[in-house]
Amino acid sequence: MENLIFVCLSLALSLVPAIASAQYRPKDTEWPSYTADVAGTRYRPLDQINASNFSDLEIAWRIKTDNFGDRPEYRLEGTPLMVNGVLYATAGSRRAVIALDPETGELLWIHGEHEGKRGGAAPRQLSGRGLAYWSDGKEGRIFYVTPGFRLICLDAKTGARVPSFGENGVVDLKLNDDQEIFPDLETGEIGIQSAPVVAKDTVIVGAAFREGMTPRSMRNNKGYVRGFDVHTGKRLWIFHTIPKKGEFGYDTWEKGSAEYTGNTGVWTQITVDEQLGLVYLPVETPTSDFFGGHRPGNNLFGETLVCVDLKTGERKWHFQLVHHPLWDMDISSAPILADITVDGKPVKAVAQPSKQGFLYVFDRVTGKPIWPIPEKTVEVGNVPGETYSPTQPIPTKPSAYSRNGVSIDDLIDFTPALRERAKEIASKYHLGPVFTPPTVSKLEGPLGTLTMGTASGGTNWPGGSYDPETHTVYVYACNACIEPIGLVQAPKEVSDISYISGTAGREVEILRGPGENAGADSPKPPKKRASGGFVRMEVDGLPLIKPPYGTITAINLDKGEIVWQIAHGETPDVVRNSELLKGMNIPRTGQETYSVGTLVTKTLVIAGEGQVTTTADHPRGAMLRAYDKATGKEVGAVYMPAPQSGSPMTYVVHGKQYIVVAVSGGPYSGEYIAYTLPSAGE
Amino acid sequence: MVSPLCMLRAQAPTESRSVWDGVYTEEQAKRGEPVYHKECASCHGDMLAGGESAPALTGGAFQANWNGLTLGDLFDRIRKTMPQSGPGRLTRQQDADVLAFMLSINKFPAGKTELYRQSEMLKEIRFESKKPASKN
Repeated sequence: MENLIFVCLSLALSLVPAIASAQYRPKDTEWPSYTADVAGTRYRPLDQINASNFSDLEIAWRIKTDNFGDRPEYRLEGTPLMVNGVLYATAGSRRAVIALDPETGELLWIHGEHEGKRGGAAPRQLSGRGLAYWSDGKEGRIFYVTPGFRLICLDAKTGARVPSFGENGVVDLKLNDDQEIFPDLETGEIGIQSAPVVAKDTVIVGAAFREGMTPRSMRNNKGYVRGFDVHTGKRLWIFHTIPKKGEFGYDTWEKGSAEYTGNTGVWTQITVDEQLGLVYLPVETPTSDFFGGHRPGNNLFGETLVCVDLKTGERKWHFQLVHHPLWDMDISSAPILADITVDGKPVKAVAQPSKQGFLYVFDRVTGKPIWPIPEKTVEVGNVPGETYSPTQPIPTKPSAYSRNGVSIDDLIDFTPALRERAKEIASKYHLGPVFTPPTVSKLEGPLGTLTMGTASGGTNWPGGSYDPETHTVYVYACNACIEPIGLVQAPKEVSDISYISGTAGREVEILRGPGENAGADSPKPPKKRASGGFVRMEVDGLPLIKPPYGTITAINLDKGEIVWQIAHGETPDVVRNSELLKGMNIPRTGQETYSVGTLVTKTLVIAGEGQVTTTADHPRGAMLRAYDKATGKEVGAVYMPAPQSGSPMTYVVHGKQYIVVAVSGGPYSGEYIAYTLPSAGE
Repeated sequence: MVSPLCMLRAQAPTESRSVWDGVYTEEQAKRGEPVYHKECASCHGDMLAGGESAPALTGGAFQANWNGLTLGDLFDRIRKTMPQSGPGRLTRQQDADVLAFMLSINKFPAGKTELYRQSEMLKEIRFESKKPASKN
């Protein structure tokens, strides 16, 4: 193993200006990018860990993140990198960066930014999802974005800020953003959780905001995307996800609403085709997730996949997945770059998983859909002040891989009695297929539209994986994440938006995201006492929706067809232990969490469970499962003390393969755990 | 003469209790509801159903997380780390009231005594998702 370079020598190295030379080429045994590579594959061609030995995996090392910030975190979502013999990760409540020995977990260095009030006011807190690595073969740099929205450049060997980047290693992302972040730099709402992406000599950063279900205002900061020079931190380009006046798409925001509407950022993972010099931006929802009355028009580039030039940020093509968005169908994960063969012809494609359970597949050079995505007529709603798109694009192939509408047939049906009770609950709501619009919430009904495949449905930020050997996408989806969407009028002191998410009869509250300073100056909600409308999406503790609750699907991109689909996750305790279902033989149901990521290797699809169970086979905890990637058959499982909360990764050091996964949740604070095979002779 | 130590012992619960034994009062849950709405609903939802940034505080997944642990564990988790924007902002009494509200939403029965605000007392109360057979 490389000798670790200690402080003096590394300082000397960091003073040497970076010389452009042979491009750094990561090895297959490394994990140099959040998604393994910048194509978003989450794939490594490794098979030392395989079906014959997965269940024998042991913990090689583990590290809690409790003390890397001012308090323990219970939501560790990071995926580490492993490059050049060092493992790098974000960790702890202040989103520090740690460098570890990948064989032992020994802490080599840690870097944390103390951001004071600016960090405390950030819309997206805790340790985030990861970081990025750049090297020219001589020098290595780590890039990450703090909760307070500053892009930091560290020397990969020492963890010290690189003084020649930005201002002493820092680019303040609240500045130079073609907008004035309001109300001020300290408390202005903008941040990010995802890892920046480094492609060639550019580092690209998006933006995130608070939850958009009950925003205080129709006005918000905007989520532009920027590319910076990895050497100097100079801003190379900016892409306006909400067009400025005179730019293409400005007129899709009628009544001048592009001026004040915000959000519409790229909060999830960006991918890049380095050879073609093309960047793929998955854009989120505009301000106000479920009511668009203050932003009439199709709202480009909200919920749009945009392809821009790596050097200039100039738009090459785009495809809007949802017109005039009303369902919080943020494009939630990395667009996967896949070189496939369709009808005998090679195609450079991009495949986009989604909350709404569609995998949208395009030619990534031209933007043309590989299989038709025609505009289909959808139900138009009648919320006062709202405008609706009469059609939405719906892919013909591949078919939806998770539920995206709600019908009686989707309801629990273990017994006829349970189905009847579920129907009673569902009768209080408006039901329909994908793109059924939200309704005003009425005490006498409907309380709202019952939806799946919206805010927390389908595939979320962990995204999917891609196997370049077989041209197959593997993607986890929540198949039972039910979301009632009802709208209530917001009093002026609560919001200047006419309608926000709520239930008739209940107090109107602003749903703020984590990290907001909810102090003395937050407006007091009106005193509307709850007289009804507390409807639980369950029947005797059992989920309202029938299994499978969560799935992993294999989709062949050459054919545009689902190859296999399995329920992922042990049947929840509440179902397994239910008196009502005693004696029934219920196949494994999977679990309804939305934030599970997959890892693909030469032979396996690996994913951990997102929920805790206690079974005859293991104490309270969750299992890390491995499936045969050709068939979906489970071939092994190992115990984790808590649910998987960050997507797994893998690497080889000194001939030994490791899998590292972040676990946390409930009573268990964040921990990175590394698994490896037992040493010979054990 | 009874020593102070004996008196202390007499106050401590002598039988093991769980969330099925009426460990909070309805009055306390009603006190906790507005505190929950002001401090917790922003992330955990006004129906405790959770959202993208925070888990549900009711239902199977929540109960599976805490089953077999104690109310003291759950209470301390709330007290030390919540709300995320300002942990420790609420008083122990407020935390106990919010927890009482959560227990009421999870359909654990109310009783005659309020939920304690001392962690060591709450550690004596088991969180059990399955209703014991002896209770109906």
